[in-house]
Parts: sequence; structure tokens; C-alpha cells
Amino acid sequence: MSRRAGPIGAAFCPGCGAALDDPAAFVQEFWVGADRHFLCWCVRCELLCTVVIAAQLVSHEPEH
Amino acid sequence: MLSVEKNRRLTQVGPGTPMGELLRRYWWPIATHDMATRVPVKRKLLGENLVLYRDGSGTVGLLAEQCPHRRAALWLGCTEQEGLRCGYHGWRFDAEGNCLEQPGEPADSTFKDRIKATAYPVQELGGLIFAYLGPSPAPELPRYDLFVWDDAWRDIGHAELPCNFLQIMENSVDPYHVEWLHGRYGTFLRELGGKDTPLPVVTKKHVKVAFEVFEHGILKRRVLEGHTEEDEDWKVGHPLVFPHMLRVGAAGLATFQIRVPMDDENTWHVWYQTYRPEGGAPPQPEIPVYEVPLYDEKGEWLRDYVDGQDIVAWVTQGAVADRSKEHLGKSDLGVMLLRKLYAEQIDRVEDGEDPLCTFREPHDVIDLPMEKDKFGSAVEFRQLWTRESSIRYSPIKDEIFALFGDPVPSWV
Ligand code: FES
Ligand SMILES: [Fe+2]
Ligand SMILES: [Zn+2]
Repeated sequence: MSRRAGPIGAAFCPGCGAALDDPAAFVQEFWVGADRHFLCWCVRCELLCTVVIAAQLVSHEPEH
Repeated sequence: MLSVEKNRRLTQVGPGTPMGELLRRYWWPIATHDMATRVPVKRKLLGENLVLYRDGSGTVGLLAEQCPHRRAALWLGCTEQEGLRCGYHGWRFDAEGNCLEQPGEPADSTFKDRIKATAYPVQELGGLIFAYLGPSPAPELPRYDLFVWDDAWRDIGHAELPCNFLQIMENSVDPYHVEWLHGRYGTFLRELGGKDTPLPVVTKKHVKVAFEVFEHGILKRRVLEGHTEEDEDWKVGHPLVFPHMLRVGAAGLATFQIRVPMDDENTWHVWYQTYRPEGGAPPQPEIPVYEVPLYDEKGEWLRDYVDGQDIVAWVTQGAVADRSKEHLGKSDLGVMLLRKLYAEQIDRVEDGEDPLCTFREPHDVIDLPMEKDKFGSAVEFRQLWTRESSIRYSPIKDEIFALFGDPVPSWV
């Protein structure tokens, strides 16, 4: 299990940049396949979002 | 995975803790109606040791356990016509905590006027006694529909479970567990016991689940295999009532599961049932109360029925589930949403606001949504639930069967 993103994974709010290690902020890790997701709720701007640390970036291949 | 620190924040319920402060904004069942008598009893709520009594004039009081004088326990006391007298030296207190009498002090002493026992307000509703441990002014006691219907029968089961309340609440936003814990594991136990018929209803597979935060908590919806979004499981759903209850049932049978945090590692679980067939039930003289057993004759956890399976799952997660070691997936979204809702409401309280489900206006009744046809059929669900939930320990079980008149199902 990759811990490259560190134990917190998402350290700052993607909306306002507030630190998510604030005890009042909520950061919950979960897994979707090989992707590590963090459900984040920022106590400063109240943004609820998911930060995805993707194992791979998958695109489609247009016909050529 | 949740950090150790955030897990602590969501699971500690004592005075001065963030979750403890949130939970103190609500009225909690402290006892069933039959527990408040002339004999004072020990109760525990949100990490506080308390004594409950009913004095000779019928007033119910709830005081901190330790007497303000020299700290003997007040359950070692006598109920007088007014108030509770400490058994050690006879100081007497009323339900507001005022010291009415200090028999050993000089007759002209005003010392008693400077003594106050810690006392909390209580109210009786629907066969339960509710207490409020938070700051004044207390909000209104929410008159949820099940507590106030006057044409329903009721019974109340209860048990003290050795685990934190949060892991129990999480179960109520975890629909998938039904088909596994009750469907597969429950059927597995039947197989071991020589029964080859699986349980109906709970074995149905989930196709889709949804959760939405609404004014009463989290509304849960599901589509089961062979059903559609037109079915009531999806169209209506049923709620987790914030912060402490699950509403579950089907037509005529509506129940609350109430999770009362005694302290960080113990929860008083109350199964509150209402039985209200089409046209209403005849008057009920008194609400029966019963204890739900946890162990079989060999001392093993009882788990040959739905509520027993839930209990064992909750308790085996640990006294306080260590969420820093768990592995959540997409099917745990409901659980995450609930944790986030608690985190957000803790923050509201820290900002000096009223949290979700605080009622400041007097009201007659608060109606909650709940599907009538559950898992496809109200009758099938009732047949199952009256046999496979803690109702199987109800002293009025046979009267309940007769009240609904549902046929005995083939799987029994
Ligand atoms: S599969 Fe969920 S706790 Fe084991
Ligand atoms: Fe369950
Ligand atoms: Zn932010």
C-alpha cells in the first residue's frame, strides 16, 4: 500500500489552502481500486471534496 | 483510515471533549419509565455518573452521583416526600439540586443555601425518561412521531453494549451489511443448525444505495435486486435521525434504535417499537419493558437473529474501533458521510451555533419519513422483523402477532 502521499495524503484544502491537519477539519481515506481517495471537509471554507491520488492516469485512444 | 487524533475527536463523549460538547446539546433517554421509582438507581450518560429517582410527590430527579457533602453516592439514599436524602448524613436535595435540609447543622445555619448538587432536567415521553446535560437554555424535547402517537402499542427492549456509540451509529448508514451479516452469515448459521431455508428479505442484493443529509439527519435509500426506483425503499427511504437514532420498519411496524453513549466504551441500546395496524391499535394500559439478553447458556454471544448479529459485529470492532487501522472502500460512503456530519456539527457547536436537529419551538409532533413497503413487502418485512429482531424477547410478542394477523411464514 503506497504511502508516498504521506499519512495525511491531503494536507491542504484544495479550495482555500487551509491546513487540513487542523483537528476540526475532516480527512477520511478510502480506496477505489488502486486509487487512494481522501474525502476532505475544510473547516475554514466548508468545501467538501475528494482528493484522488491516482495509481495511473488513464486516457482513451482516439481512432487513428 | 482515519487519523488517531480524528478518531478520538469523534469517539470521546465526556465533558469538555468536542463530541461530548456536541452530544450535550441533545435530550437523551436516561431510563425507561419503570426505572424511576422510590428506589434511587445509578445511571451513566456521556461519561457522567448519575442517580435517578422518583420522590413521594412523583417528581423525577437526576443528580450527579456524588453527594456535595462528603461525596458518598446518592443512590445510597432515601426518597422523601420531596427530594432525595443522602444516606450518609441526611442532607436532602430537590430535583433542581437545591439543598433543602442539613440535619446535623445548627438550626439557624444558612450553610445549606450555599450548597447545590449537580442536577439535570428530565422529561417523560412515550415511556422513556429523557435527560439534558447541556448548557441552558435547553432546547425543546423533540416529539418524534413514534413517541407521541396515541393509537399505537409499544414495547421497549434495552441492553448495555460494551462498545463506543459511533460504531453502532455507523451501522445505520451501511446498507450492504444487511445482505452479508444477516443474509449470508445469518443463513450460514441456519445451515450449521440444519435449516436449509435461507432467511427471506435480508438476503436480497443491493443494486444501488444513496444517502442525503436532510433536516432530520441522513436519509438512506436503496434499490434491491429485482426492484426499481419506483419502490418505496428508494422513493421514500428511511432516516438515521441525528445524532443518535435509526428509524426502521414497514407499514404498521415502526421502530427506533436509540444509541445512548454511557461513556467512551459503553452504549445503552434501546429498541423502541410501535405497533399500529391499519385503523390503530386498542388502548395499551402500560408499555412493557424488557432486557435484551446478550449471551446464550454457554456464555457465547447470541447471534442466531438479526439484532444479535449486529451486536456482535459492533462489539467485536473493539471497545472503540481503531479507525486508523481500517480500510474503507466505496461501499463505505455512508459511513464517511456520517463521520463528516458529526465533524461539521462539532464545529457548529464550537462556533456557538445550534447543531442539526435542535428544536427551539414548542411543537406537537415531528413526523419522520419511512417506507411502508420495505424490501418489496410490508407483510414479509413484519413477519421477519417481529421474529428476527429483539422483538423476539418481547413479553407481548404473541399479542403483536395477533394484532397484525400476518400469516406464519414458511421459513420459521
Ligand atoms: S468485511 Fe467488513 S468488517 Fe470484515
Ligand atoms: Fe444490521
Ligand atoms: Zn478550504
